[in-house]
Amino acid sequence: MSRENKAGISRSYVESADIVIVGNGIAGLTAAVEARRLAPDARIVIITDQCHPTINTPALKQFATGKLEREQLLAYPAGTEREQRIHVIQAHVESINAQGKYLCLEGGGGFGYGSLLIATGSKPNGLPAATPGRDFDGVLTLHRLADYLDLRRRLCEVSQAVVIGGGVHAIETVMGLLSWGITVHWLVRSATIMPRVLDQPASSLVLEHIQRAGAKISLETEVAGIVGRVGAVAGVITNQNQLIPCQMVLVCTGTRPNAALAKHCTEPMLCKNGILVDDHLRTSVRDIYAAGDVAALKNPQTGSYEPRAQWYSAVLEGRIAATAMIDDLGGRQSDRRGGSQSERAASSFGVPWHATHLGELSMLTVGNPLHWSDEITTLTDSSKGCYRLMALAGDRLVGYLSLGPKQPDSLAIKRIIDDGLPVGSIKKALLKGTLDARAYLSQRRSEAAHDLVTTGKLPDLAPVASTGKGASVMRVLSSTASLPAAAPVPMPGVKQGQASKTVRLPETGPLRAAAAPVPAPMPVPVPAPLAAPSAVPRYTVPLAIVESEEISPFTGNLPAVAKPAASPSGSKRFQPRPQPQGTARGRSSSGQKLLPASARLPAINVNSKEKRPLRNLWSYGDRRPVVTNHGGGHSKSDTARRTASAH
Amino acid sequence: MRDSVLLHKTGPQVAQELQACIGCNECLLVCPALAEPITIDVLNRETLSGPISKPVARYARACYQCGACVAPCPVGLHRDAMMMWLKVRLLRSGREE
Repeated sequence: MSRENKAGISRSYVESADIVIVGNGIAGLTAAVEARRLAPDARIVIITDQCHPTINTPALKQFATGKLEREQLLAYPAGTEREQRIHVIQAHVESINAQGKYLCLEGGGGFGYGSLLIATGSKPNGLPAATPGRDFDGVLTLHRLADYLDLRRRLCEVSQAVVIGGGVHAIETVMGLLSWGITVHWLVRSATIMPRVLDQPASSLVLEHIQRAGAKISLETEVAGIVGRVGAVAGVITNQNQLIPCQMVLVCTGTRPNAALAKHCTEPMLCKNGILVDDHLRTSVRDIYAAGDVAALKNPQTGSYEPRAQWYSAVLEGRIAATAMIDDLGGRQSDRRGGSQSERAASSFGVPWHATHLGELSMLTVGNPLHWSDEITTLTDSSKGCYRLMALAGDRLVGYLSLGPKQPDSLAIKRIIDDGLPVGSIKKALLKGTLDARAYLSQRRSEAAHDLVTTGKLPDLAPVASTGKGASVMRVLSSTASLPAAAPVPMPGVKQGQASKTVRLPETGPLRAAAAPVPAPMPVPVPAPLAAPSAVPRYTVPLAIVESEEISPFTGNLPAVAKPAASPSGSKRFQPRPQPQGTARGRSSSGQKLLPASARLPAINVNSKEKRPLRNLWSYGDRRPVVTNHGGGHSKSDTARRTASAH
Repeated sequence: MRDSVLLHKTGPQVAQELQACIGCNECLLVCPALAEPITIDVLNRETLSGPISKPVARYARACYQCGACVAPCPVGLHRDAMMMWLKVRLLRSGREE
């Protein structure tokens, strides 16, 4: 039976797949791997026109200077796609037929899809088209692996180079070249660098640093033309009428999303500075999603839609897109199960953030430290070659910028901003860069748990700029649940014994070795996740806090929480010092259950009744460090002891 | 003070950090205990789940938590905490055998 649709493509002969992903950047591959984890039987296909597997793009700058080899660039271990049964097809997608749900490939083929993810990434802006001389050999626009391979090969032959651009990419390129001893002229169009991220003092600090490293910097300078000699670049002419001799010109002028497919779609797909997506990464066309550099997400603080061209965001978006796609696919094919599973992924991006090295300085920017209106107070501190800027709305941090030799705990600060935690007590520490995030966050959790238990009242969900789930307690869990796969971690605890049992079963099933740590309880009707504000069984929350956050890593200082009424099968999970590991560990599935087992970690610190031989994890010395209070107390002559070398 | 493994980060935090890892290899490049080539993607994947391969297991044992890997990380992650989790996981999986 062959039906021909309007395009004349015989539908039954067109290949198709349940999940089709266009683009094999990190967003695409992460989505594929996550989708495989959630739906072990779906047919998952990646269509890409890239000729190499997914690489760690941030590692390219190391690769350019020769510190890494190509094999080390792979983002996932080689062979992951085959192992996960993800088919990769090398083809260029020309257009989407949304009604017929198929893609038109270059060369005339078609490919049908159940759910489509557009993860086509970004493309570099390059030099303006009218710039004379942009075609000379030696003018490189750095973006893909091929460009960096080219750069790497040329490094030995070049003694002077010109870098054009005012962002992080340009800075990294400048520093990389300087480390090779190449004379670098850096041309920046505006008066400050990274104007959207750094303010004037911060920009000066960075520029000073880079100048000290040896670069020659020209601000408010643009390229008027490139001069060459028999086809190869010989110099650059600037708009300040200067001729700079060089053998290589590197263009790092920013990127824009590769949203061409949105314009070649039979149904209108909203696209403006990237494909507009909602919090579940759905585009305006049914069954089509977008993730990565191409997707424009809502910035929770400014309300505008813009792509988050960060590695971390791309990974997160890939996972959330996969969750949304599988949810919708599942919902369509059968009765909707676990109705609010997709809520799990709701709004878990938080504020945009970026952490990187700028030369010798570490820069961290979280939220929106600049460009605020007057209700926001800003505090700055510059001392000892550092610069810190904090934007506060009352007691809440809304933006943070840090420049200094040491990188602060970026994820902790992001959590503080996302959750709207009160920062009155740590304002000074944040400003000076001496924040002990661990102490602060665990203190907050203790207080929250204590409040919950003593007052019996749920915390109010004070709406935060980002997501509306402001209360720290709820957010503590949902921020650990901010990765969709991590969401189930507190949830088994939430439902005490019964769900922890039912949730555990699928863990051994669909889990694969290379897959993400925590199993999503896809086949299990997980009750309303914590991320959904309307979740009913709230009173079990304190148990989850105790279980997943407090017990495992922090020793001794357990919150003064009354022991929760232990449920029959869950009781062993809620004791601060779990009993001998054998019982608590349950079925082993080659160590795949790390996260739910986190509650049992302290049991490693061997119960005094048990004398298990500990492997010698420390390579120095023959004896294990003396630990007091250990039945017997002193270093043992451990027959099972191994030294580090004898593996 | 009871027996304890002092872990800097909770399980979900380690998972979050592993996902934020941009794979730049700075931590591996400065590690004094790394004796054979190990790729960062393999290390990341095995830190949290799945079987631990021999080279990674050797590396986990060799790591003596000097903390040199934290300073170069451009993202501000804590590779020493991740390595500690890997060690702990290795230990526990060894015990199960």
